[in-house]
Amino acid sequence: MDISESTDKGVKVAALTGRLDTATAPAAETKLLALMEGGAKVVADLAEVHYVSSAGLRVLLKAAKQAKAIGGSFAVASPQAPVREVLEISGFDKILAIHPTRDAAVAALA
Amino acid sequence: MSLTMPEEILLLMLDDESGRLQERAAPSGDYAVAGAVLAELALAGRIDTDPTRLYVVNPAPTGDALLDRALAQIVAAPQAGDSRHWIETLAADADEYRDALFERLVSKGILKRVEGRFLWVFPERRYPVISDKEEREVKARIMGVLFQDDIPDPRDSMLIGLCRAGGLFSLILSTQELDRVQARIDAVADLEELNRSLADAIREIYAQIARYAPMV
Repeated sequence: MDISESTDKGVKVAALTGRLDTATAPAAETKLLALMEGGAKVVADLAEVHYVSSAGLRVLLKAAKQAKAIGGSFAVASPQAPVREVLEISGFDKILAIHPTRDAAVAALA
Repeated sequence: MSLTMPEEILLLMLDDESGRLQERAAPSGDYAVAGAVLAELALAGRIDTDPTRLYVVNPAPTGDALLDRALAQIVAAPQAGDSRHWIETLAADADEYRDALFERLVSKGILKRVEGRFLWVFPERRYPVISDKEEREVKARIMGVLFQDDIPDPRDSMLIGLCRAGGLFSLILSTQELDRVQARIDAVADLEELNRSLADAIREIYAQIARYAPMV
């Protein structure tokens, strides 16, 4: 999995590419938690993620949990339809802030 | 001492004083044990799931004989199945899993084994609790998650789904408490795909019972 970072209006954006599953979860988790250090505002942009497994979902949950614990904020942006469906079936949309676009997510956190 | 989820769920299904399994936990208790084995394999990074399948991502043994037996069975399967298929498949061997888990809890000094007779005739083995510290810790952990609004840890979500599957909340909580936290139980448990598949499989058992009950 490729993860590229950028900053937009003081919000750190991690753009993930590929599959988010057991194989890629540890690297994604490390990266997201590192970005979050110091209570930063972080968006995980899933526009280029075409598959999220249960292990992948746990990464997003851990990131949201960490943000809450250290007073930061975390949101998910632009999930593709199949990924969005998985997020909804599991009720993640009630726990995570999920935005249709990266700009909307950045605007919500900025 | 930290316990694995299959050990925790079995301990919760046990009536501490009599050392017998709670009747309330049957018949879904077998599925809860199978679910616990799969949950532990998932958190150990050996298997992963999505709504349509359960697949092996790392066939390396975990070092836990019980988990490795299930992992080997999944690795050797000619066809991939979904979570529900594997819950039902492993549940068929629930007696063996349970016996092994009881022995393990005995060797950890948590239970003792008592050989006796049920109705004076039938040989019966019971496992009364001798150290309730572990069980109290597990219950406290569950209560902490249910009565607070925090985002749950994956391990806690899994365990709460297993308790729901085993029908254990009506034993742990009062009716009023249960009414208050039922929505939270479902929200936390449903975060995990394995828990949702487990709930589906159990709904099917009860549907079958309801279908055939009038004939018995």
